[in-house]
Amino acid sequence: MKEKIRNFIAEATFTDAATIKDDTLIFDEGIFDSMGLLGLINFIESEFGVTTNDSELQEENFGSVERIFTFVSQKTAVAS
Amino acid sequence: MSTTKKEVFSRDIIKLKDIDATIDKICKKLKADVNQVLRRQGGVIGVSGGIDSAVTLAIATKAFGPEKLFAVMLPEKDSSPDSKEFAQKICKKFGVKVIEENISGALDGFQCYQRRDEAVKNVIPEFNPATDKMKIGIPTELIKKNLPAVFYVTVIFADGTEKSARLPMAEYLQIVAASNFKQRCRMSMLYYHAEALHYAVLGTPNKHEVQQGFFVKYGDGGADVMPIGNLYKTQVYEIARHLGVPDEIINRTPTTDTYSAEQTQEEFFYQMPFEDMDLLWYGWENEYTPEEVAPAMGLSVEEVIKVFRNFERKMKTTDYLRRAPIHDYPC
Repeated sequence: MKEKIRNFIAEATFTDAATIKDDTLIFDEGIFDSMGLLGLINFIESEFGVTTNDSELQEENFGSVERIFTFVSQKTAVAS
Repeated sequence: MSTTKKEVFSRDIIKLKDIDATIDKICKKLKADVNQVLRRQGGVIGVSGGIDSAVTLAIATKAFGPEKLFAVMLPEKDSSPDSKEFAQKICKKFGVKVIEENISGALDGFQCYQRRDEAVKNVIPEFNPATDKMKIGIPTELIKKNLPAVFYVTVIFADGTEKSARLPMAEYLQIVAASNFKQRCRMSMLYYHAEALHYAVLGTPNKHEVQQGFFVKYGDGGADVMPIGNLYKTQVYEIARHLGVPDEIINRTPTTDTYSAEQTQEEFFYQMPFEDMDLLWYGWENEYTPEEVAPAMGLSVEEVIKVFRNFERKMKTTDYLRRAPIHDYPC
């Protein structure tokens, strides 16, 4: 799952996936902007079936590959 | 190595030290740019009734005289009726000829409203554009979460009740793209009059609009000169008072005047009062440290760091808007 998330971010931002580490702060480092966040919300919904509630729009859930992975894992675990 | 000592950061740091000298320098440059560089006879200004176009008009009157200026009001279906009254007032005050060009027909031709309303209905199906009003914005609680802006659409129904929903990417982009027809239609009309008179288009964006990217590329960002493009908003107000802009215009809350529901610029884009934003931007731009800025602003160092990070992000993500077409391709 982490690789899928990393590859999505890399493709959306024309960035080399190897430069995006698990803990790279994708917003703070300017890799992703508003459009990136909206795209990411769409991506995790279409790829993993995870919908994001308004209250879940937090840096703790979206700030890095690791955080997105944890967020999606927790949501899918709850769903199943 | 520069030996200039940096002024201690305070709330007065951007107050204009010699307002007449500043106005004089802007006027001299504006006249030289329009007459000598662009070789145009005068200026056309779109007047909205807001503070920025009022101050641009006041400065331009000082630079060229009213007889070399031509003002155009460009209302459309969603414009506030107050805008026309204030626009007429400022033109009368400075003796500048003004006409009205209603752009609603052109916008209908582009299907501006239809395209925008279709996207709103995708998110809030009960929306009835004939009776309800709409706007988009960023909820304040989201701003504190240190994520890039995510927009919500709010519909104000005819009975006064409201409903908001987060905009998915496709709908957000469609609403913005459709709404941007408004600024681009205005730009086209201003250039019609400028070319017909052999004048230049005098743009009205201030420093924040230019640098934070709060303008539409080839819309209100389409102009030949931007005389107040280097002035902070509080400096624009200082000059407005100095040049005698009517109080009703000075005291109006700046709005976007873009969506059918009323919306302040602070709510839509800036997310903080102008007085604070000016100072924080100045601090960031002039490389003051968060430790130097925080006490004067009554903020914590962490809060200033967050704001500076947000400015940096805005500069980066809006770079596209400020770029001219790239044409240095190999031959």
